[in-house]
Amino acid sequence: MTATPGEQSGGNPTDEALLRVSGLAYDYAGVSAVSNCSLELRRGKIAALIGGNGAGKSTSVKMIAGALRSRSGSIMLDGRDITGLPAHKVVELGIALVPEGRLVFQHLTVRENLILSGHVRRAREKCTQSLGRVFELFPRLKERQAQVAGSLSGGEQQMLAIGRGLMTMPRLLILDEPSLGLSPILVGQIFGLVRKLNEEGISVLLVEQNVHHTLAIADYAYVLEKGRVVQEGEGRRLLNDPKVKEAYLGLV
Amino acid sequence: MTLFLQTTLNGLVLGGIYSLAAVGFSLVFGVLGIVNLTHGIFVVAGAYGALVLFTKLGIDPLLGIVPIGLALFAVGYVYQRTIIQWAVSRASLVASLVVTFGVAMMARNGLQLVFGPDVHTITPSYSFLSIPLGPLRIDVVRIVALGASLVLLTVLALVLARTHFGRAIRATAQQPLAAELCGLNVKNLHGLTFGLGAAMAGAAGAIIGIVQPFTAASEVAWTLNAFIVVVLGGIGSPAGALVGGLLLGLINAYTAQYVGPSLTQAAMFLVLVLMLLVRPSGLLGNAFGESR
Repeated sequence: MTATPGEQSGGNPTDEALLRVSGLAYDYAGVSAVSNCSLELRRGKIAALIGGNGAGKSTSVKMIAGALRSRSGSIMLDGRDITGLPAHKVVELGIALVPEGRLVFQHLTVRENLILSGHVRRAREKCTQSLGRVFELFPRLKERQAQVAGSLSGGEQQMLAIGRGLMTMPRLLILDEPSLGLSPILVGQIFGLVRKLNEEGISVLLVEQNVHHTLAIADYAYVLEKGRVVQEGEGRRLLNDPKVKEAYLGLV
Repeated sequence: MTLFLQTTLNGLVLGGIYSLAAVGFSLVFGVLGIVNLTHGIFVVAGAYGALVLFTKLGIDPLLGIVPIGLALFAVGYVYQRTIIQWAVSRASLVASLVVTFGVAMMARNGLQLVFGPDVHTITPSYSFLSIPLGPLRIDVVRIVALGASLVLLTVLALVLARTHFGRAIRATAQQPLAAELCGLNVKNLHGLTFGLGAAMAGAAGAIIGIVQPFTAASEVAWTLNAFIVVVLGGIGSPAGALVGGLLLGLINAYTAQYVGPSLTQAAMFLVLVLMLLVRPSGLLGNAFGESR
């Protein structure tokens, strides 16, 4: 296939994929956590990775972000092979992972947490602007910018973790269980935010156990079970899929 | 009363030096989780470096701090990125204990081969001056040593608190995974932190050289002192090192003066054990939280 001159971003049609992951596998001390994770995320879309505890969701996204090194397979970002790159280099290419459990720097202030990640080369010049934007999105963080992150509530820490990811000006934002442990109101806010960020042009890979909310906003979703993708499809279609309903939504 | 004040003054001066000699150990312990038993070698190497610079080139030990610091920074960086990193990644953090102990023994013998077993001192022109301070007297070298220690500790505290490098070190100590995700090269930062610790130790060594006699075998005492300072003051911060160092200096001075010079070690260990029982995280706690 050849590219037609009128096409955006100058690639061929298959280049619609911002992220293409195939055949990732990972073992923890000989125990397989992920055996075959393959997924694709189109530019400007929201993809979801769902599945139960221990299905290998977090391990998979850690491999994509470079925090773990896959035993096999490949990771392509925008047609470029980034397999095996360490996390601090993957960030520079525009992938930000907001890790499970937030992992904010408890003893640094809110502001320090943010400007630290705003210091990556790709975002450094716009650090002040990004900080303004994060404070606009999360007024609570602005109020508490001089407090140490450890003093924030769980919801605020989640906002800080997301803000920290946004400071790196990502093209692809990976959120690992952002709604975990939050009140229903906050959960709603987080999903609203995901949608908003996506509308602003950031592609999102969302890892969640909150399957109902997730499938409602995801363009495409993958179901991970025992370390392999067992099902995939458009978010709304999976929402009505009897197997998914039974396994993850508690509806029969 | 005069005797008490004089003893206190001596203890504080000694404590300032202990603080500087320990701060690198504390930083490495806090950030990398490694108990670096080679630390005393860095201190003694700094003292020998100052001795060589002074006797061969006539460079004042205080100016010598700069080249010594740079040299030890390089040594520390390479040492961490190779031997220590290998040991930790192939075995465990505990392996670093054995490895650094082994390297310390080899380095001590190496220093003895080069410099001989004799006790050395560095005697710059101001060595024998002392100034009256009311009824007390204080040696100029000791004022200089204390001043230099406090300046270096302050600079380190400011670097850690105010610069990107400092924030990166603190972030890495608290959450290595998140630090990496924020674009920090954690392996490199570990090397740099280790180098910084070695440089501070070397600087302390140069200062110690003008205040106290030293031999290659002194390294054992300096590693031990650093450990006690960290237990007393708390892990990872210059402030903790300062508190721990001053406390250790005072304990040493009072014991030597009022109990007996041969019992200083016993007193140090007594306090160490009590501290571990009562407040194991040190007076100021762990600067990087309870992650380790």
